[in-house]
Amino acid sequence: MDLKLPNLGEGADSGTVVNLFVKEGDQIAKDQPVLELENEKAVATIPSTFAGTVSRIYIKPGDKLTVGQRILTLNEGAAQLSTPTSVSKPRQALRVVEAEPGPEKAPCETESTPAPEETPPSRPSRFPPPAAPSIRKLARDLGIDLTRVHGSERGGRIVLDDVRGYIQRLQRLAAQPRTAQAKPAPQAAKPPPEEIDFSKWGPVSKQPVSPLRAVIARRMSENWNVVPHVTQFEDADITGLMDMRKKYAGVYEENGARLTLTSFALKAVVNTLKQHPILNSSLDEASQEIVLKQYFHIGVAVNTEAGLIVPVIRDVDNKGLLDLSRELEDLARKARERKVSAEELKGGTFTISNQGGIGGAHFTPIVNKPEVAILGLGRGAMRPVVREGKIEPRLMLPMGLSYDHRVIDGGVAARFILDLAKAFGGFKEEDVKL
Amino acid sequence: MEPTKTDIVVLGGGPGGYAAAFYAADLGKRVILVEKDPRLGGVCLNRGCIPSKALLYAAHTMSAARESAHRGITFTEPAIDTTKLRAWKESILTRLSGGIAQLAKMRGVQVIQGRGYFEESRMLRAETPQGQQLLTYDQAIIAVGSKSAMPKAFDLGNPRIVTSREALEVEDVPESLLVIGGGYIGMELGTVYATLGSKVVLVEALDTILAGADPDLARPIAAYAKKAFKETRLKTKVAKMATSGRQIKVEFDLDGQKKEELYDRVLVAVGRAPNAENLGLENTRVSFDDRGFIHVNQKQQTTDPAIYAIGDIVGGVLLAHKAAKEARIAVEVIVGEDSAFVNVTIPAVVFTDPEVAWCGLTEAEARAKGIEVKVAKFPWAASGRALSFDRPDGLTKLIIEPDTERVLGVGIVGVGAGELISEGVLAVEMGATAKDLSLAVHPHPTLSETLMEAAEAFYGHATHTLVRKK
Repeated sequence: MDLKLPNLGEGADSGTVVNLFVKEGDQIAKDQPVLELENEKAVATIPSTFAGTVSRIYIKPGDKLTVGQRILTLNEGAAQLSTPTSVSKPRQALRVVEAEPGPEKAPCETESTPAPEETPPSRPSRFPPPAAPSIRKLARDLGIDLTRVHGSERGGRIVLDDVRGYIQRLQRLAAQPRTAQAKPAPQAAKPPPEEIDFSKWGPVSKQPVSPLRAVIARRMSENWNVVPHVTQFEDADITGLMDMRKKYAGVYEENGARLTLTSFALKAVVNTLKQHPILNSSLDEASQEIVLKQYFHIGVAVNTEAGLIVPVIRDVDNKGLLDLSRELEDLARKARERKVSAEELKGGTFTISNQGGIGGAHFTPIVNKPEVAILGLGRGAMRPVVREGKIEPRLMLPMGLSYDHRVIDGGVAARFILDLAKAFGGFKEEDVKL
Repeated sequence: MEPTKTDIVVLGGGPGGYAAAFYAADLGKRVILVEKDPRLGGVCLNRGCIPSKALLYAAHTMSAARESAHRGITFTEPAIDTTKLRAWKESILTRLSGGIAQLAKMRGVQVIQGRGYFEESRMLRAETPQGQQLLTYDQAIIAVGSKSAMPKAFDLGNPRIVTSREALEVEDVPESLLVIGGGYIGMELGTVYATLGSKVVLVEALDTILAGADPDLARPIAAYAKKAFKETRLKTKVAKMATSGRQIKVEFDLDGQKKEELYDRVLVAVGRAPNAENLGLENTRVSFDDRGFIHVNQKQQTTDPAIYAIGDIVGGVLLAHKAAKEARIAVEVIVGEDSAFVNVTIPAVVFTDPEVAWCGLTEAEARAKGIEVKVAKFPWAASGRALSFDRPDGLTKLIIEPDTERVLGVGIVGVGAGELISEGVLAVEMGATAKDLSLAVHPHPTLSETLMEAAEAFYGHATHTLVRKK
């Protein structure tokens, strides 16, 4: 039985393998994650749809996969396991079968640094790479060896876009040493990283950059480079909210949910987004249109051992605090176990990053493109607040709203954050009680 | 005599030669086309593809009339007027060659009727009915084609021993006809004469007819031959032939046993030989292989830098469409493009009844070369369209690369296979997968559905046939 890349939904039909969890000879259970796949939207784990023993793996980290592409072959003869156990045979485990698509990254127009030189993909086929006669003629005219080009279509077929991406990558690679030698122009391509021997100043230890870390690094610098960020600060008075939380935490617990500040934040954010729909939009860079979404899917940043993962809670506007609390806990657990599906990482319209559990006050989060705004919450703390002429101790929540100034102007953002602060203070008993 | 100077001289006006001349003219070259026949079109148009198809069509109307009896429609025995049949066939050839001459004229391609003889690498002497003419050029393209091979032992100078060239003239319908050779020419012409009323015996030295085709594709043809021919003898050689009055005495060698028979006519269809003699090529640097075909590289360049060669004269598969493709490549190389005959899929079609066609990798070839393939088949007995015209004796199959599911080859036997194979060629050229074929909607009820259903059979879910699960 072959495991093939399932439909990823949302029009996504490909992704790059960032992590492979199984080896040849491993016994895997149904629904056990076999790999992590990254595309422009998210990193997702792909579970196995069958149980069995992995007899052959056709892909490796760095490969670009398209929907329907074969990932591995499972020998169904093995016992149907209910829990994942890793029985790897070391000798076989070391062997990663090099299969059709080379370890090439998907062509990415926005990549500011050139991808590393790809090695020619070793094809098992004895036949020339599949490509239309017109493409083969073009390649011949341009002197391009099609065996070095990754085909993105079914069966690894090479289309014009693949050739274009290959040429662009070659160009970037060709430009790299030249810009390094030339005097650094203000907008020159990034020079190759300088090698530094840190150990000459003292002892060091090293660890490899994990694939997830590499993805975070790339996505963050991309967002930082493309989106003109402004961060607006404000504090929300959550004294009343926290009293209510304390009062109802027990009831929620009895219903199997932890009532947290993040649950309240989800509600407050969505109520405020409804008043300011522009913060629930995206800039379609291709068509130069602003897309206003009539749904409210909120991403929640989860800190995991491997790194940051942002699962999305759907239709927050239609859910009560109890449902949100349950879902939040469930998603956070799945994120930590790296079992979040590709679907659950996609389609967000706004993101909340709550660091209150850790501590600290205001911070400036980075907008999660193509969303246009992100809310960073610090730890609520007692502060002296002047209310009606008197100084009162109030529990204040530090908020930082980063937004994409291409889409949102400062006035709009300021009004949003003020309304948001009001929403945090405006929770009523009937909103909370079950 | 002052030589005429031009850019390109094309020697030979067949489907390779005129395609090269026209393309070069379209790309702005001054072109002279030299053809020894008064009519353009070469063997294909005058003594091959086209006349044989016309005769097969005529014969088909007769067999179709006979076969309709069990459907309750009967005709009286047809009367054959060979003079009229010949005239009709000639009218097609005249019309087609006239069209080619017209196209040459409109493009400004100068056509010289005459035999061409190379005086040196860059000079051709054309011996025309009006006298000799010298042509100098930058490049010459040789496209002089091939002719029916006639082994010395058979060449008695007896007009009753013929090749396809004479057989296509249909002077009369002999009572008994021996066809030597079970390749496509022998099978096609055997079919024509058998239908016109000759008692046909076909002998083939190998153990199968249509040796290039996969055995499962050749099977329906063998079944047809069994019915239509008096006899088909495999692993049989003709040892000797002699004139015996108005007949030919033929001595066979059947697995070591001798046998003698008399025939009214013998058709020798044992292959084709290059037309490389008397061209003056010894005055150039062109070289040949041991069978007399001209050596060329992938760019159709001969060992003489000024001379290119295309079509049958360079060997390989001797097919008009291969020549036409090579014509394009030669011209593109001449005008400076980086063109080459690399990974070109050349389909083969045999116009027997039913037709056989294939392209790309065959199953037999895969087996011989140890290439792992999967074969998906769809029998026409499950095709409503095939049943609707009473011909379920067909098969469509795909040769698929297991890892990528890419279609490497397509083979079809059945009525109209020659027309159906083009989709297979497109699939192979495009690097299509079986999935692509199965996902593309094919119109119902047509024979083209068999390609889609064969692809579906690969995945185990063809609608009209049950495939055992893998």
